[in-house]
Amino acid sequence: MSPAGGRRRLTRGVFSIEDQQLTLPDPIALDTSFVVEALLATQPLHGVCDAFLKRIFDSGVSVVTSELLRIELAETAFAIAMKERWGRRWRAHRTDGRSRRRAARLLHDTILRYGALLTPVDHFPIPLGDITATAITFMTDYGMASYDAAHAATAISAGAETIVTLDTGFALLPSTQLTMYTDRSRLGSCRTKRSR
Amino acid sequence: MSGPIGNTQADTMRSVTKAKTNGKIQRLSPERLAELRVPATAKTPEEKQAALKRATEGLRVNVRVTRDMYRPR
Repeated sequence: MSPAGGRRRLTRGVFSIEDQQLTLPDPIALDTSFVVEALLATQPLHGVCDAFLKRIFDSGVSVVTSELLRIELAETAFAIAMKERWGRRWRAHRTDGRSRRRAARLLHDTILRYGALLTPVDHFPIPLGDITATAITFMTDYGMASYDAAHAATAISAGAETIVTLDTGFALLPSTQLTMYTDRSRLGSCRTKRSR
Repeated sequence: MSGPIGNTQADTMRSVTKAKTNGKIQRLSPERLAELRVPATAKTPEEKQAALKRATEGLRVNVRVTRDMYRPR
């Protein structure tokens, strides 16, 4: 639908996961930012991501993830425990052992939940060793950050042309390489980034 | 591909972009993907619903998680 009296806005390969008309390609890649938001009930976009996960399950498409995702989930659990204890200065206490018990419990719970999240779909966990060359290409050709490049390379190497993400960093890749499914609030910034 | 860019123009553009990256984008072979595939174990609607519930309900923390907590920029 074109805006009244204006030109149709270019999507630049970025679409909203709140859009009920959105088709789900098979396979589809998931980024850590989306999984974290879906797993943690206290995150602001939890409901949106939970609903989109249900659509993925119902559609029967298969899911691609990087093995880096599990490491990032572990880091998330560790960082949560640190931040709960130390607040904004948590990084300065990284080597302090007093948060590790909480971190270990959170990590165990998070990984169990991540496992449950994947049981309704055919899943392709892609090792970093399979995508390293492509990730480096994305870093050198498009200026992507290393972790973003690894997730993007994972998606494309496994044949997924779409990644579900809440991270605008993927917009550094041209839409011809990878379509982005993100939340409504990030559409504008992602499309602007892609137009440069 | 059933997504929004599944058309000839997009495919043409994709091949142009691949040329720009000197062909360094490596696709995994079907055989490799078959090795990596983990099949679904929750198959009925009830099993899928239960899995979704186990995964996404009830994990509450006392801080807001931001991107910089798991990924360096």
